[in-house]
Amino acid sequence: MSAPLPLDLGEPALLLTAPVLGFAFGWFLERSGLGHPAKLAAQFYLRDLTVFKVLFSALVTAMLGAFWLGRLGLLDLGRVYVPETFLLPQLAGGVIFGSGFVLAGLCPGTSCVAWASGRWDGLAVMLGMLAGVLGYMLAQPLLQPFADATSRGSVTLPHLLHVPTGLLVAAITAIALGGFALAERIEAKHAGVLEH
Amino acid sequence: MRTLTPRRLAMAAVVLALGALAAGEPRPPGQDLMALAAEIEAERDHVSAPELAQWIRRGEPGLRIFDLRARAEYDELHVAGAEWVTLEGLLRLSLPGDAKVVLYSEGGAHSAQAWLLLRARGVRAVWFLREGMYEWIARVLEPRLPRDPSPAEQAEYDVALPLSRYFGGVPRRDVPRAQVPTGYWTGSETRATTPRVAEAVGRIRRRGC
Repeated sequence: MSAPLPLDLGEPALLLTAPVLGFAFGWFLERSGLGHPAKLAAQFYLRDLTVFKVLFSALVTAMLGAFWLGRLGLLDLGRVYVPETFLLPQLAGGVIFGSGFVLAGLCPGTSCVAWASGRWDGLAVMLGMLAGVLGYMLAQPLLQPFADATSRGSVTLPHLLHVPTGLLVAAITAIALGGFALAERIEAKHAGVLEH
Repeated sequence: MRTLTPRRLAMAAVVLALGALAAGEPRPPGQDLMALAAEIEAERDHVSAPELAQWIRRGEPGLRIFDLRARAEYDELHVAGAEWVTLEGLLRLSLPGDAKVVLYSEGGAHSAQAWLLLRARGVRAVWFLREGMYEWIARVLEPRLPRDPSPAEQAEYDVALPLSRYFGGVPRRDVPRAQVPTGYWTGSETRATTPRVAEAVGRIRRRGC
């Protein structure tokens, strides 16, 4: 369980939360216009910053929510899974992911959204993604030493920078709000966001 | 309305972020210390030497054992697979999320302090050997059964016997009661002391183990 709120749902109900959250995630991606490759690709040319705005605002919402739920004793943050950091493999993964993203104009989540809203290129990207997963699994014995390299454990920014969590939360919120204002200005220069 | 809603959301984010700045940490004040106190009270903070021996023997996933004694003492004798580390070095280590950390020192005091520091730093699975190296020697390497064993002593010895052989120890039976090591596990209040540990290590060294 990754968010141990005081809810004792039992196994079947917990399994149900996954598709419910998945559909909600897809719905919000689609409603934000992120099922359209042109809109996503425009992000990389700084013409339409919807991706940045949607994902960074989701991040800030989750961060503020987790902080305050923890502070109010509703969420035991010590039991929230923090994925481990593997510096080089994750950097390499980021480069591969980014290249695929800009090439296809879709990422894994948005490719599903694109196909669900009737775009065949969404299906093509989904199949490409699955082929990539299969390829990685087949090559896994060869790649495992690299995948395990440069392990840094479960690091969080407050531990890494030795600053109080609240200070980081405030700083990241400020960066986000400043970024949103800047994004709106950049978009205004390019005569608004792309219609979908 | 189109610009009003984002503006309101931004204001809410600013209020929550400023509150977070004032609050400092995302935990109710004192909650962590209370949780640690409850763990200590329930004696979930330590592992016994035979339990640790079984973990090592079955290759418990993620097990990391740290010896907090002086380097010379570690070089002389240490628990199988243990890594030598100073207290500061231990806190600088980056441990994977699934690590099972076991700490030991000469007695229990130093490793209990290390346990508290690691738990406070957020490492979840940490235990220490309550009587440290002395307990490892007395209960795993050199288990001794007195001539007139109680059922509890016999049961303890039966568990220790295969473990002792596995770790190259020397189990003994029919030992005069005065020579049977005592500790918290025998209900004795005696604690590991430097002379007792040094004497036990010296005995093992003389045997050439």
